[in-house]
Amino acid sequence: MSIRKIIDWAIQDQRSEMKGNIASPFYQYQDAVGSWVWACDVDLGGGEENSVLRSVPVASNNRDVVYAEQGKGVTLSRMGSGKWAITGLSKTLNSTVHMIFVSFVDDIFQIISSRMVGDIIRPLSYGELGTLVAPYGYGVLPYGMQGKFDPDGNLIEIVES
Amino acid sequence: MRYISASLQDVLDSRRRRPAYKIYAWDPGTVTISQIASATSNLNSSIPMPMDITPYASEISWSDKQLSFTMVDPRNLFHPDTGAYRNYLGDGAILRLVEGDEVLAETDWVTSFTGQIHGQVGWKKARNTGNITAKVSVFGRGETQAYKRRKITTREYTVGTDLGIALYDICETFMGLTQAEVRIPFTLGRQFKHKVNQLSQVSPWEGISSLLEVVCYLPYFDGEGKLTYVNKSLQRPMAKVLADYVRCVELEVPENSQDGINKVKVVFLDAALSRVDGPYQKLGDAQVTTGFFSMHERLECWWSEDHKQRADGTSMQVIKSVNSGLLPVGDESYEQKDEFHGEIEVAISVWVPILATVMAMAYVAAALIPDNTDSTSTQTMPVVLTGPEGTQGGFNLMAIGIGVGVETAEVVGEIHLNPGAVQSAEVVGFTIPWGRVIQAAAMLGIMLIMMSIGSAQYEVWGTPYDYAYLEKMSIAMEDGLDYWRENEKEIKNDFVGTHDQADTIAVTELVWEKSQVRTRRIVIEDDPSLEVGDIIGIPDGRKILINGLSKKIKRGEVPSLVIDGCKVLTP
Repeated sequence: MSIRKIIDWAIQDQRSEMKGNIASPFYQYQDAVGSWVWACDVDLGGGEENSVLRSVPVASNNRDVVYAEQGKGVTLSRMGSGKWAITGLSKTLNSTVHMIFVSFVDDIFQIISSRMVGDIIRPLSYGELGTLVAPYGYGVLPYGMQGKFDPDGNLIEIVES
Repeated sequence: MRYISASLQDVLDSRRRRPAYKIYAWDPGTVTISQIASATSNLNSSIPMPMDITPYASEISWSDKQLSFTMVDPRNLFHPDTGAYRNYLGDGAILRLVEGDEVLAETDWVTSFTGQIHGQVGWKKARNTGNITAKVSVFGRGETQAYKRRKITTREYTVGTDLGIALYDICETFMGLTQAEVRIPFTLGRQFKHKVNQLSQVSPWEGISSLLEVVCYLPYFDGEGKLTYVNKSLQRPMAKVLADYVRCVELEVPENSQDGINKVKVVFLDAALSRVDGPYQKLGDAQVTTGFFSMHERLECWWSEDHKQRADGTSMQVIKSVNSGLLPVGDESYEQKDEFHGEIEVAISVWVPILATVMAMAYVAAALIPDNTDSTSTQTMPVVLTGPEGTQGGFNLMAIGIGVGVETAEVVGEIHLNPGAVQSAEVVGFTIPWGRVIQAAAMLGIMLIMMSIGSAQYEVWGTPYDYAYLEKMSIAMEDGLDYWRENEKEIKNDFVGTHDQADTIAVTELVWEKSQVRTRRIVIEDDPSLEVGDIIGIPDGRKILINGLSKKIKRGEVPSLVIDGCKVLTP
């Protein structure tokens, strides 16, 4: 392990900004000093099994962010205490991850498998709204309702707005 | 693999060698390293004649990055302060090592090192021994710190421009290289995917590294001081195959006690902007106060204050209509003008201002209508004349003089009264002027129209959307790897535009990293044709990637070339 690699990792660990997607409706909770703050869950992406950062507060000078909807990209900044806070909207959005699994046996490598991971949040189409109404289980869905889909287009869940 | 002449190759193959070398030095005040590297030979007329310092050099140690030797300088010719030739070993002095064979002309030799002195050379004179020695270290062009520290911002490149064009721009503009000094193909076969592309706040070396990263290349300066590359894809032909172990002096598997990379993450921005829809919601509102005084009201309704929010499927909802007054006075309509805004139009009916105008004119005109009564008097005001008691209807008539000096004079006349025609009862009754009635009617019409003036409120609803760059990722990782054993390397490169390209980089990089931990060291008879990045085959079939080369050069002796490399993994 070279010094350069260690320094690179250290720099990465000390990064003060990252991006994520809003993964829950905004809600209020009491922070450590008893103040009510707006917060939401943020999906950091990256193809990890559990990549959702819970109860990320919105920086106080960014009230407009609370009107953003699920799936929107946000910028997180590391506060002085080490906690992350939402400081603005992002022009980029975490998207799909293509994972490739490679085996190494002696001097031979081989690609074993690959798969796409990552969720896509988008409004339900008219056709999807039509197929999801009662009696199929979801009840009447208003126009504009959003759903979370896997990379293959399969509906995972209806997203709360 | 370095190009060598056929005659030199014949000598190498014959194994009857009489190795020879020369060290040339140039005064940096008379020529630049760029001119030296661009020249076709070391003794070219386009560059100053070099000083041959070979006779003064001993204990020569060569590697692909550094050349160091000891100067034996009994006459103090290269003393840093007083030496006549001190500029040839001063800061920035350009040195080259050329190697060949005594039986060949120098034109058949190869230049195996080009570099510069950084700082100053060490120089020592010892009184007890009388020796005067100087330690000289020359560094390859890749070790130039200015290439790696200075931050640059390139010009912008449009979509479709080949990455090679940007690379050559950086080389020429920020590294001072001519096209003759760059051995990287002018077109890399990969294009910029985004609308505007710039490299900003990166060093020139980082810039060309990130451009070459897209095609899995690694930049480095070769022995001639020219910029070239190492292809990280190990699925390429071998540069040389050792048929037997005759030339092989040592074969070593060095200890390597480090955790290797087993997961490579390539993060890139998708070239295409993707539409991201938001939920159906109120996009904006508008209100207007309108009436007879305005025929048309056009209200622009933007979806955001900065006029940048996009929306689709918009429609207007009337919260309070312009027709909510006493009279329906107009029509309200909505049209989406573009993806950023719509327009609400309130059209007031034509008859409203016409009616208002007519009523106002009628009101004025009615003011001119004289009042009429039922009296027979033609006077507007009935006159009651009452004479003083006892006059019996007689009156004194006086003419009033007008002007200076004219006196009032008595005149004589008659006044005839007809008491029967003047009735006191007729002049004290109610009067209803016709003009007032007409004015009241006109005023009622005007007020009715004015009462229809109102403020209308509208909301526009729709589906907001925006275009965002999707940050995508390709991950190549060792199969069956437990989460807690992952040792990750992240490559972030926005010049990668598709998952396919990113997949190639991720897998190539993972295989490269896995190979790097399988280090090998081979010592063979010197072979000037070998370069960093070459793959050589050893007799048992294994393939070794050359990561570094080094040797010690002595007069009249075939050097042993130390190859530091790693085992090549094959599919």
